[in-house]
Amino acid sequence: MLNQLAELINSNVAGANATVSMPEEANLDGAIYIDGAKMFDVAKWLRSNKEMPFNVLQVISTVDYLEYIEVCYMFAHFDIENPREFILKVKLTDRVNPNIDSIVSIYAAASFQEREAYDMMGVRFNNHPDHRRILCPDDWEGYPLRKDYVYPKMYNGMEVFPDSKMNFEDREYKARQDLIAKAQKASSVDA
Amino acid sequence: MQSRWDIGRPEKPTINSETEQLKTELLTLNMGPQHPATHGVLRIEIKTDSEIVAHAIPHVGYLHRCMEKHSENLDYRGVIPFVDRLDYLAAMSMEWTYVAAVEKMLGTEVPRRAELLRIMCAELQRIASHLVAFGTYIIDLGPQTVFLYAFDMREKILRMFEEVSGARMLYNYIWIGGVWNDWTDEQLKNVEDFCDQMEVEAKKYYELNSSNKIFINRTANVGIMSTKDCFDFGATGPVLRGSGYAWDLRKVKPYSLYEEFDFDVCVGTGEIGQVGDCYNRYIVRMNEVLESIKIIRQVLKKLEPGPIMAKVPKIIKLPKGEVYMRHECPRGELGVHLVSDGGKTPYRLKIKSPCFTHISMLPRVAPGQMIADFVATVGSTDIVLGEVDR
Amino acid sequence: MSTQTGSVRDYFSALFDGITSTARALYITFKYVWSVKPVSIEYPEVREVLPERARMRLFNDVLNCISCTQCAMACPVDCIYIAFEKLPEGAEIKKTSNGQAIRLKLTQFTIDTALCCYCGLCTTVCPTECLTHSHDYEFSQYTIDTMKYDYLAPDVMAWRDRIVKS
Repeated sequence: MLNQLAELINSNVAGANATVSMPEEANLDGAIYIDGAKMFDVAKWLRSNKEMPFNVLQVISTVDYLEYIEVCYMFAHFDIENPREFILKVKLTDRVNPNIDSIVSIYAAASFQEREAYDMMGVRFNNHPDHRRILCPDDWEGYPLRKDYVYPKMYNGMEVFPDSKMNFEDREYKARQDLIAKAQKASSVDA
Repeated sequence: MQSRWDIGRPEKPTINSETEQLKTELLTLNMGPQHPATHGVLRIEIKTDSEIVAHAIPHVGYLHRCMEKHSENLDYRGVIPFVDRLDYLAAMSMEWTYVAAVEKMLGTEVPRRAELLRIMCAELQRIASHLVAFGTYIIDLGPQTVFLYAFDMREKILRMFEEVSGARMLYNYIWIGGVWNDWTDEQLKNVEDFCDQMEVEAKKYYELNSSNKIFINRTANVGIMSTKDCFDFGATGPVLRGSGYAWDLRKVKPYSLYEEFDFDVCVGTGEIGQVGDCYNRYIVRMNEVLESIKIIRQVLKKLEPGPIMAKVPKIIKLPKGEVYMRHECPRGELGVHLVSDGGKTPYRLKIKSPCFTHISMLPRVAPGQMIADFVATVGSTDIVLGEVDR
Repeated sequence: MSTQTGSVRDYFSALFDGITSTARALYITFKYVWSVKPVSIEYPEVREVLPERARMRLFNDVLNCISCTQCAMACPVDCIYIAFEKLPEGAEIKKTSNGQAIRLKLTQFTIDTALCCYCGLCTTVCPTECLTHSHDYEFSQYTIDTMKYDYLAPDVMAWRDRIVKS
C-alpha cells in the first residue's frame, strides 16, 4: 500500500520526492518520506483526491534524532468498508529554526497538534493562526523534548530542582560514611 | 402629549442614530481553572455577547507533567505506572495500549487466558469510566442525586479491581507479556453478580435520566458536532459515534481477540433530539455500558485455566524502529507512537490523546450557544485533563 | 434548546410529559428513603477490611534482606536508597527465611514515601520477599522530611511483629 501511495503522490504533486522506508521486521511500521517544502500541496492532495483519500489527521509527532528533527504526520481514512492509515514523515535538518508549512486550512485537527509540536520541539509552522505554546507556560524558554535541552535554573523567581528536595544526602550515604571513616582514621593516626 | 402616568418621570434620553451609537463590547468570562464543571483544570476564555457565546478559547497545560520526557529515562516496565496516570479514570485501557505497542515491537505472543482477562478488565473499566462520565455530567447540569447512584456501582468495580491488582485507581496490572495476578473463581463470581446488578441499575438510570423531560430539554439539539466536523478535527469514540458514524476500532480493525465476540456498535440515531447533539453522545455511552456487559458475559464463558504471562526477557530491549498503536478507549482512540533505538528505554513515547482533539473542537462548536448550553457541551465531550496535558 | 412550537396541544403535552417523567424519577428516589440499607462506613470507628493484595505503605524486613538492590533499580521514581558493605572477615553467614545466604551487611535502607507511587514494582523483584506492602494507609505527617523512613531504625524494625506473618 505504501509503494502505491508513494507513486500516486509523486505523479500528482510535482517535486514531492516521496520515498518509502520499510523496516525488515514485519511487525514494525513503515513510513513515506517527503520533501518539507511541498507539505501543503501533498496534504491538499491527500484530502481531496479520489483514488486514495485520507480524511482524518490523527496526530503530529516530532522526534529528535540528533542530526535532524523528524515531523511525523499520522493520516487515516475513516471508512467502515475501507479503512487505511499511514505515517508521513518530513526531515528538517535546520535545528536552529526548523519550519514547515501549516496545514490548518486543510485539516482543522492540526491547530492543536502543531501548537504542541512547536511547544515541545521548536518546529515553527508558517501561517498558523494561533502560533503560541500550549502545554508549557507562555513565557517558558527552551523546547523540552529536544535531546540537548537544559533545564533553566530559575523560573519567575522559583528555583527549579532545589537542592533540599533532591535527597542528595540519602543517595551519597555510602560516600559520606567513607569520608567520615577516612577522617576518623586520619585523626586517630595523628593522635 | 403627557399622560398622567408620565408626570414626575424624567425625560427619556433620545438616541440619534446618526450621531451617537450605543457601544457594545464582548464580555470576557473565564470558565477558569477552578470550576466544578470542567472536570479538571481547564481554562476556557468565553467572550459573550449578553448571554450568547461569541468565541470560546480553551487554554490547557495546567496539569502538564512532562510524562513523555520522563519516560525516556525509565525502562519499559517502569513506564507502565506513568501511563496509568494519563487518563486515570480508564487506567486499564491506557496500560493495555502501551503494552500492546511494546509487545508488537517485541513480537511476543500473549497467552489466551491473559488476553481474555485483559478484555474483561478493559470492558469493566469502560463501564466504570462511562459511569463517571454520566454521573459528573448529570451533576454539572444540576441534579445531585444520580451522581451518587453512579458512583455506588463504580465502587463495586473498584473493589473488584482492588482485590485482584491491589489498587483502586492506578492499577499497574497489565504487564508486558500478560497480566500480573490471576483471578480466583470467587472473584469471577463477583463479576457475574455485578453484571446482573448493573443491568437492573441501567433500567433505573433510564427512568431517572434518559426519559426525563427536563434532561432532554437541556441536552437535545445542543452542541451539535456533525460527522464532517468530527472528521475535520479527528474526533473519535462516543463523539464520532454520537454523530451517526459507526466507527468502532473493535469492529473495524479488531485487535486482540475481539473478533470472537458478538456485540453491536452503539450509534446516535436522532430519535430524540438531533444526530450529533449532547443527548445522542450521552445515549451512546449508556448503550455502550450494556454492550460491555454482553462482552463480559461472553468472556466469563470462554475462560479456561492456563498461563497468564508469556516468557519475556528480564531486561527488555526493543529492536530499532517505531510503531503506532491505536486502541478503543472509553473516551476515544488512544494512540501510542513508540520509537526505539535499540536501548533499554524508549527513545520517544508520544501519546495521542482523544480528549486533546475534542477540546480543539470547542471553538468551532461554541459560537451561537448560550452559556448554560456551553456547559452542557463541555460536559458531554467527557474530558479528563490528565490525558490532555499528559 | 428544543424548538418551541406555538400550539396549545404541544404546550399541554410537554407539561404532561414533564410531570410524569419527574414523578417516575421521584418514585425511584423515594424508594431509597426506606428500602435500601446505608452503604456509608462510619470511619474512624469502623474501618474497611482491605483485600489481601492491597498496596499501601511499604515495609522491609531488613533481617532478611540480602542487599541485592533490585528494588532500587526497579523503582521508576528512585525513592529507595541502599548502601551496603562487605562483611568483616570470619563473620558468620546467616540465612534468610527462604534459605538464601546473606553475604553483605546492609548499612542504609531508606525509602522516601513522599516520592513512592505505590506501583508495586519493587515488591515483585525482591528475591527473598522481604519488601512487602502492608495495609497501613494513615501515615500522613506535618512536614515532608519525616516521610523518609529508615528501615534499620529500631522503632521501625519493631513493626515486624505486626506486619510479617510467618
